[in-house]
Amino acid sequence: MNSARWRLVSPHLDQVLELSGEERQRYLHDLAKADFTLAADLMVLLGEEQALHDEKYLEHDAQDLFVESRLVGQTFGAYELVEPLGAGGMGSVWLARRSDGHFEGMAAVKLLSAALLGAEGASRFRREGTILARLKHPHIAQLIDAGVSEVGQPYLVLEYVEGEPIDRWCDNRSLDVEARLRLFLDVLAAVAHAHSNLVVHRDLKPSNVMVSKEGRVKLLDFGIAKLLDTESGAATLLTRDAGHAFTPAFAAPEQILGESVSTATDVYALGALLYLLLSGRHPAGGPGTKPAEMLRAILETDPVRPSDGMTDPRVATQRGTTPERLRRELRGDLDTIVAKALKKRPEERYASVAALGEDLRRYLAEEPILARPDSLAYRTAKFARRNARSLVAAAGTVLALIATVAFYGTRLAHERDRVRIEAQKSAQVSEFLTGLLIRADPYQDDQQEPTVRSLLDAGAARVRKDLAKQPEVQREMLTLLGRIYDRRGAYDQALPLLEEAVNLGRRTLGPSRELAQSLNDLGVAQRRKAQVDAARATLEEALAMRRQVLGDKHPEVAVTESELGRVLSDQGHLAQAESHFRTALAIRTQVLGPADHETATSMSDLGILLRTKGDLAASEALLRQTLVVTRNTRGPMHPDVGTAISNLALTLNERGNPVAAEAMLREALAIGRASLGKNHPDIAQRLINLAGALRLQGKLAEAAATAEEGLAISRPALGLDHPAVARQETGLARIYLDQGRPAAAKALLEHALEIQRRRYLAEDWRLGTTHSLLGAAYLGLKRLPDAEPHLLRAFEILKPTPGAEGQATREGRENLARLVALYEAWGRPEMAARYRSEE
Amino acid sequence: MALPLSTLIHSADCGEPQASEALFAALYRELRGLARRELARSGPGSSLGVTSLLHEAYLDISKREGVAFPDRARFFTYAARVMRGLIIDGLRSRQARKRGGAFEMTSLDGKDVGDGGPPGDAEEIERLGHALDELATMEPEIAHVVDLKFFCGFTFLEIAELRGVSERTVQRHWDKARIYLRHALREGFLD
Repeated sequence: MNSARWRLVSPHLDQVLELSGEERQRYLHDLAKADFTLAADLMVLLGEEQALHDEKYLEHDAQDLFVESRLVGQTFGAYELVEPLGAGGMGSVWLARRSDGHFEGMAAVKLLSAALLGAEGASRFRREGTILARLKHPHIAQLIDAGVSEVGQPYLVLEYVEGEPIDRWCDNRSLDVEARLRLFLDVLAAVAHAHSNLVVHRDLKPSNVMVSKEGRVKLLDFGIAKLLDTESGAATLLTRDAGHAFTPAFAAPEQILGESVSTATDVYALGALLYLLLSGRHPAGGPGTKPAEMLRAILETDPVRPSDGMTDPRVATQRGTTPERLRRELRGDLDTIVAKALKKRPEERYASVAALGEDLRRYLAEEPILARPDSLAYRTAKFARRNARSLVAAAGTVLALIATVAFYGTRLAHERDRVRIEAQKSAQVSEFLTGLLIRADPYQDDQQEPTVRSLLDAGAARVRKDLAKQPEVQREMLTLLGRIYDRRGAYDQALPLLEEAVNLGRRTLGPSRELAQSLNDLGVAQRRKAQVDAARATLEEALAMRRQVLGDKHPEVAVTESELGRVLSDQGHLAQAESHFRTALAIRTQVLGPADHETATSMSDLGILLRTKGDLAASEALLRQTLVVTRNTRGPMHPDVGTAISNLALTLNERGNPVAAEAMLREALAIGRASLGKNHPDIAQRLINLAGALRLQGKLAEAAATAEEGLAISRPALGLDHPAVARQETGLARIYLDQGRPAAAKALLEHALEIQRRRYLAEDWRLGTTHSLLGAAYLGLKRLPDAEPHLLRAFEILKPTPGAEGQATREGRENLARLVALYEAWGRPEMAARYRSEE
Repeated sequence: MALPLSTLIHSADCGEPQASEALFAALYRELRGLARRELARSGPGSSLGVTSLLHEAYLDISKREGVAFPDRARFFTYAARVMRGLIIDGLRSRQARKRGGAFEMTSLDGKDVGDGGPPGDAEEIERLGHALDELATMEPEIAHVVDLKFFCGFTFLEIAELRGVSERTVQRHWDKARIYLRHALREGFLD
């Protein structure tokens, strides 16, 4: 949105802010009818309004930011605050001076922020004091005093460490590996002392390991430390929310997963710290790594060995050596030691900080270390773990299943007398899903890791076998699995499951919301498989049933309206398709609002149809709106965003802007490849579209290569008999014709024509286009008598409807030009003149 | 010899850009001086807020300049904008004094654990200031509510009285301005 748009939206915003929820919806609805883009902008801003209430945005005064500075000079115990050292959500830390004149010296005073003065904040603060009071060690910053001030402010007085974080300290002094290790042994001593007092630090990272000016290591900040249970040695959870306050980069897998924390958690963080000190890198990625990627790396990826990535000469210089020598120094024992400390599973790490220290001492003394490099046995065990990890990936899919089940559960729960049965049912379904995960045996086929696909296949088999006695659950699971296959593009697998679901539903339910759902899903899969007539019949049945059961204005009715519209559009019944799309859009705009994802889908359907009809301005507006809403509702990298971009690009291409179209299609491809995989049929279609945009710019060689790449994906994915393949072949043939390769074009067009003749009505404009192009190919081959019947057939099909300005009309004009060219080449000027007068 | 504030305010009202700048500078000096005096007088831990500082300033200056001095509403229009500059500068210099991250307290997403309170650092407040200037070119009256409320700590009632509108109107302006600002800081109003 830019300032100009703000000016346009501003008066509407004034009005809408005055309205209540329902009135707002009506206002937006009306505005959307008049000006879609404006309504969308308004929606975005109303989204901001919601957010600012949720966040209490700007509701603190700016001057609160200065409140702390008024603390300067206040005294806490024997200390007077001098200046703030740092602040965070939990409170602030101040440099303080001894004020009673007894001793010289500075201290750090930690204050709990006023906002956290609730019971929990205070108890957490007290806990830090208690923990620190237990610890007396030369390498741990000492607790000097703790108390509550006259005005009720709790405080801790701590030893003040003026120095640098350990990594910076080492780098700034170019310490070599040995010196780093010796310093690190002091860190280990401090942590070991804490552990022997049953304290786990849980937040070990460079900024909490300071080195003073004198070169002495000091461990700081036990703010989220934990007391271990004396009996079991496991950590007890003292407060709940403190568990999340760690620093992700140095957190152990079990911390991220919220599992139980032990001394091994600190061993892991020490391993990460050692890795950093030795290699200058972090085991889970550099500073630019996104938090999510880093978490993933910590959970799933074994870090590269410190010696392996060692190429940076700056890192080597900071260690007083060259990359080559540093690599040699790290390779072997140090790699092994770091790897053992960084094991994903706590029980595989060093059993204690002391054991880690012992190995480092052995290394420094040039004795054999106790840790062993990964053995064959280890690698075998690891194989099983890798399988377990891909099960985690599969779990993503299954989670989607479970979410759907939960959705079904709540939805069905509305029907009051069925609540109990349905709850039972969805419990059975989730149980089944869990069983699916657990029972999928990773050793089933020896070398193969279980894939999502093999899980689905196993699931389908089990649904048929195990659930035969519970037809209701079975039907629901068949529908779910069918949908998932459908979404993954495995239409052959989807169809039989959905057919079974429908048959079961007919036997056990009769006309009902559930059966209509199964019918709808079956119709969708049939359409994808290009069984257009069957799809139409199924969807018409689904639509009638949904109307009967749910009424005319229900979102589920809109779903089937859309799907039916798409089938009709495939069949070439554009007017009927448009009417279904408009009905769906009307229902969704009214029931779900203009900024809803499903409403956007309807705008997209209509936008694509209007492009075919030639109403390009309206098409562009709808498709832009679709893109805005899709980005907002789905996030920037969702596959639907790729589709929305691709659709808009096609309209821009038609509007004579192939350069913009090319850029957008490349973006759509990138999103699609990232989210759908390289070989999804949608990727093929985007490649063909990209080829079209390249062709319009005259980049013919690139266009041909791109379209060929697309067909190489879609032919195996969809089968040679699929109309989408035929349409894509027509697109490639057009490029070949431009390149002056009529023979290559002819082969493609003959194949496409054969498919389209079987699939489409005889008058379908797409058939006309293929005829016309085939005529052009014969024309290029100088086979004039063969060209004539195709061009004349195209002429009949593409006869312009008065006033129409669509793709068909344009193709018709091109066909006339071809006819003129044909008769001129043939030496029949009177025929040429006749068709010229038609132009 | 500097012109009296009343003259500068009058010229700024007439849209003279140089007068606006001179007025900003003069008010800036005035308010900063007052803040320092107050701090010295009441000592550390003083609870003198920005709001009372502005009221004090108005009393001071209007007494000094006499009847020619404009009404409170006019004065606060300019003074609140100046106060914003003063606060941003103050935060910036405080940030510059801060030491390195010896006492970082970080949460999972790497940001300071916050409760949706004021945007923390000086840069963010500065960005807020820029966005607010943008908004002021289009809708000065709603931008001004942010200066008064967020930067100067006025209540809705005080602002409503100052400007002779209903509290409800002020509330709505406040919401609208925050919508603009939140969007501007997160998405940007690109031209």
